[in-house]
Amino acid sequence: MSEDKTDKNQEIIGFACSFCTFKASEMAGSLRMKYPDGVRLVQVPCSSRVDPAFVIKSILEGADGAFVAGCHPGDCHFIKGNYFTRRKIAALKEMFDAFSMKDKLRLFWVSAAEARRFVEKVTGMYNEIKEKKNAGKTN
Amino acid sequence: MQGKQINNGKIENALNRFLEVEKHLVLGFEKGADDIGHRIFKGNLDHFSLINTSFGINGALYLRRLFAKGTKIMLILRPCEIRAYIELVKLTQIECEDIIAVSVDCFGAVSSKEKTDDIPTEVAQIKDYFKEPEKMRWACRVCSERRGVVGDAGIRLDKNGFMWASPYTEKGETFLSLIEGEAGDAPAEMSINATVKTEKFRTDMEEFSKDFLKCIMCKNCRDMCPVCYCIDCVFNGDEYLPKGDAFLNKILRTGSAAMPQGKELFHLIRMFHVSQTCVGCGACEEACPQGIPLTKYFKGISERLQGMFAYMSGKSFDEEIPYLTFLEDELKDAED
Repeated sequence: MSEDKTDKNQEIIGFACSFCTFKASEMAGSLRMKYPDGVRLVQVPCSSRVDPAFVIKSILEGADGAFVAGCHPGDCHFIKGNYFTRRKIAALKEMFDAFSMKDKLRLFWVSAAEARRFVEKVTGMYNEIKEKKNAGKTN
Repeated sequence: MQGKQINNGKIENALNRFLEVEKHLVLGFEKGADDIGHRIFKGNLDHFSLINTSFGINGALYLRRLFAKGTKIMLILRPCEIRAYIELVKLTQIECEDIIAVSVDCFGAVSSKEKTDDIPTEVAQIKDYFKEPEKMRWACRVCSERRGVVGDAGIRLDKNGFMWASPYTEKGETFLSLIEGEAGDAPAEMSINATVKTEKFRTDMEEFSKDFLKCIMCKNCRDMCPVCYCIDCVFNGDEYLPKGDAFLNKILRTGSAAMPQGKELFHLIRMFHVSQTCVGCGACEEACPQGIPLTKYFKGISERLQGMFAYMSGKSFDEEIPYLTFLEDELKDAED
């Protein structure tokens, strides 16, 4: 891809539920939709498998952003896993807010059929973080 | 509220009566030659002290993975210690059936590192001594829950200097029945009231890094935290920290890395893990050999995160810890 250097440096770690969001990303691939190179997905059995420690670790080890994505509330393969995710990640966001880095973390609900929504969400997040990073560099 | 007035020595008599039965124990404070510390009493009380003016360790730490096996234990501790006990009961680390928890009004405390000889030992004098908040340690100064209103029963001080014991649960009634005299109406106004809430805690990573620069990763804060209880902590050993080329890769990505490595990661992760159960007792700061203001961060973050779910750690046995439960219709703005 013909992206400049600052683009290549962007890195977003995504924790994707294997029943919904990861399927959506696979579907986006088979439909030949494009999303930024810097988005790295980690497949997890359920979004509630994501210990907030994983997110903190990925940010502190150099990722520019992280997201946790799973099935829509009520659609969880494990019945109620994503309700717990929502509480944990909402609290983690509040903690990130206290450290003035709220924009580094997102929570998405993307179902297996929503390939387009997945691409939109990750591209939007990628661009926003890129803009903020570039703005910070010029100042 | 129902309660019994306690005059001088009455509480000691009541506890001694409780200790007459074999297999009955009391966990409280003992007045030593020049310091006060925790002690489990059996048989009878010796040099018992209701109030401890210095804070060293949170007493709930001793109760972890304690299973009574037919022993009845009475706790006569500070509110923050009872609150940590309640959290541990909810986390199934303590079997609470045979434990009677009694919280005693707390006037504040000084750090055990800075304890001097001029601190009085009589209740009325202690109350006067701690009138100026500057004399207390920081965690006590900002503590909004120094009232003995948690646990099974409480011992509280009224405006006129009388002590009152009042029960909150059934087990508390048995404690009250040990005390001589008739139960009457305890005054509603006590000398220690709830303090006003402060504003939301806010900081940034730069300030955080600056404060934790001195950290030497001894992990004393984790070991002395009453509610940080996992046997298999992710930070036992260095399995969770990058090694070899992963570490090199981290330096190349982030530009630089502070040594000893992983201290920010350790504190941020621990901060999140205890966020719902942290009682703000400041035992972590007390244990820190480097004098890092840990309570500022841990208490600030935990108050914010507990506020999200209108939860307060250790307030009651029935409220469930927010991460272990959920509502189907909530947190609409959490999703992006």
